[in-house]
Amino acid sequence: MRHRAVAFTALACALFVSGTHAQTLSGEYKLGVLEPLTGPLAFEGKRHLEGLEIVRDMINERGGVMGKKLTFALADATDPTVAASEANRLITREGVKIIVGTFSSRLCGAASEVAARHNVIYWETSCVDPRFNKRGLKTVYRTEIDATGFGWYNVEFIAKHLAPRFNLRPNQLKIAFLSEDSSYGQGVTESARQRAKQEFGMQELATDYYNFTTINDMTPIVLKLKQLNPDIVHHIGFGNDAVLFWRQSKEQNFLFKALVHAGATGYGGADFGKALGNDANGVFALLEPGPGFRLEALRPEGQKIERDFREAVQKRTGSYPLGGHQLAGPGLWLLKIVLDRAGTDEPDKFNAAVMSLDLPVGSTMNGWGVKFSETGQNANERVQHYMLQWQNGQLVTVWPEEFTTHRAKWIPLGPWDQRK
Amino acid sequence: MDPARPLGPAQIDAVAQLGVSTILLGGIYALIAVGLTLIFGIMRVVNFAHGEFLMLGMYLAFWSFTLWRVDPYFVLVVAIPLFFVVGLVTYVLVMKGVITASHNVQIFTTFGLSILLQNVALVAWSGDFRFVRPWHLSVALRIGGTTFNLSQVVAFVIAVVLTVALVAFMKWTHTGRVMRATAQDRDAATLMGIDTDRVYRLTFAIGIAAVGAAGVLVAPLYSVYPTAGLQFVLLSYVVVVLGGLGDMAGALIGSLIVAAVEVAGSYVFGIAWKEIFYFLLFILVLVFRPAGLFGQRGSETLGA
Repeated sequence: MRHRAVAFTALACALFVSGTHAQTLSGEYKLGVLEPLTGPLAFEGKRHLEGLEIVRDMINERGGVMGKKLTFALADATDPTVAASEANRLITREGVKIIVGTFSSRLCGAASEVAARHNVIYWETSCVDPRFNKRGLKTVYRTEIDATGFGWYNVEFIAKHLAPRFNLRPNQLKIAFLSEDSSYGQGVTESARQRAKQEFGMQELATDYYNFTTINDMTPIVLKLKQLNPDIVHHIGFGNDAVLFWRQSKEQNFLFKALVHAGATGYGGADFGKALGNDANGVFALLEPGPGFRLEALRPEGQKIERDFREAVQKRTGSYPLGGHQLAGPGLWLLKIVLDRAGTDEPDKFNAAVMSLDLPVGSTMNGWGVKFSETGQNANERVQHYMLQWQNGQLVTVWPEEFTTHRAKWIPLGPWDQRK
Repeated sequence: MDPARPLGPAQIDAVAQLGVSTILLGGIYALIAVGLTLIFGIMRVVNFAHGEFLMLGMYLAFWSFTLWRVDPYFVLVVAIPLFFVVGLVTYVLVMKGVITASHNVQIFTTFGLSILLQNVALVAWSGDFRFVRPWHLSVALRIGGTTFNLSQVVAFVIAVVLTVALVAFMKWTHTGRVMRATAQDRDAATLMGIDTDRVYRLTFAIGIAAVGAAGVLVAPLYSVYPTAGLQFVLLSYVVVVLGGLGDMAGALIGSLIVAAVEVAGSYVFGIAWKEIFYFLLFILVLVFRPAGLFGQRGSETLGA
């Protein structure tokens, strides 16, 4: 009898808890989510989806969006054609008013065109193609900086942090540019080239582009660069190409002072460290914050949400948030802020809410702030980025120094066998 | 600075190293192409799923290494019979039904198989890049001013051995003769009492065993992921057409030519040019010697 009473009480409590939950979230709000989940871009697309799902759950634990439970209508964008047709399906069949996606610069252009044509909001959390926000599409927004921002930050780091530590002036630096040929790689590289040359007078020795899906041997380019003898190799890699370049540089004993990359792929992906272990030591990658990032450097509200985000990622994946998580998740969080503020997904009111948002650096996840331009692009200077370095199997935050407890090592890079 | 400036010791070393890279890269291409040329040459089937069997071989090496720390060279002993069986099963389940159908049907079938295998791998093992790191991967042999990666040297040696073995098999064994006879005229071979279905089954199984072995060998050199095969498969077609359809020794030489064009083109003109050069070569060969550089004249239409 007593057992039955306990069970009854427990059941009543459970019903009460679920009841209160249902009261706070009345109904569902369906968001279209478009990511490459099969095919060659899937490895990163799935990570982005994981980031979105983690933050979706965080949002639902914190009152949902506009008081409703957030749910996803999911679509798989394997290539630009499929991205466009799936965006179409999400809008016409699923009836979504907002699409979030698609991480890749190869996909976001096609998908956002479709959304804009249907007057549906397209909320991009990654895809750093500089052309994305320059097409006059009224309902298209991007929370992450574009590739020109990446190039800007990389040259900032090279000129203001590395050059003094080499005891060289920026205009004495010899720099070689190497990149995979996607619009992302080209966007970062071209903006870095321009700033390095025009603002700092760095000496450009070479610029080489290649297709990362068909590159099987990096030795020819390693040999070519070795003869040119650069101080800095600015290499935007995507996947295996980064591993191949680094391994073959070691084989050919190609010595340079630093390698700088940008983005969560190639040198910036966890796989690079897995492939090379301690041989990866010394590589720089511009990213969202990693281990060593000082929460105290953020504003109080930013500290809280960043801590919760890290814990949620840790709980789901067992690791520190990876690049994909850190672009998709915080991007979705900003969408929640906008939707709660607008109270509707009607494009004009939504746009007014986006434009009125003005949060300083350090206000939200990743230490980001928010200030959208008229074109729907979040400002470079608000979306704070960080230089990370591979140190003994881990990517740690090393710059800007006020945001981190770690310091950059191996400047300049010594002989290959002495980077321990 | 122009890489083609006057020759000094550094330039001579660079040229020697480019030669070494050509040979080692050519070895990898040959390893992959030799199975393809066999299937192509004898069955006249364009196997678009070839790269995916390579990918499966890479995953076999990866899992054996990750789960049981087995070196890829030991995995090879299991991989060859295993992929032989995989080839037999694939033939019976998939290829047998389309072997007499038009080329279009065969292309759609093998292309479908390719997509299927890619996505099975994606579902089963995720899209992550995986790596096999045996001790010999980081061993670089230095001779004079040139460097040889040990894993690549081994891959090259095995490619040569495999090619020679297949050439000998085709030339001097009874089964080899039967296979060549079937390639030359399927109907006549049937009339002579040759069980062509058995010949095709065997050919497909040997071809898949060869590419499975290639996958195991290249796994340490490249990332392992569901679409890893795509990186090589188009190139293998260039090699096979260049060397002559069904010509194993031609495949080896074709591989070296493609590798040389790729390495020299990348060094002198930049990496972006490499595909332009070898596809230009591909088109020229198709225009002027449609049977390939070493293929028997008219062999491209045999058995069609």
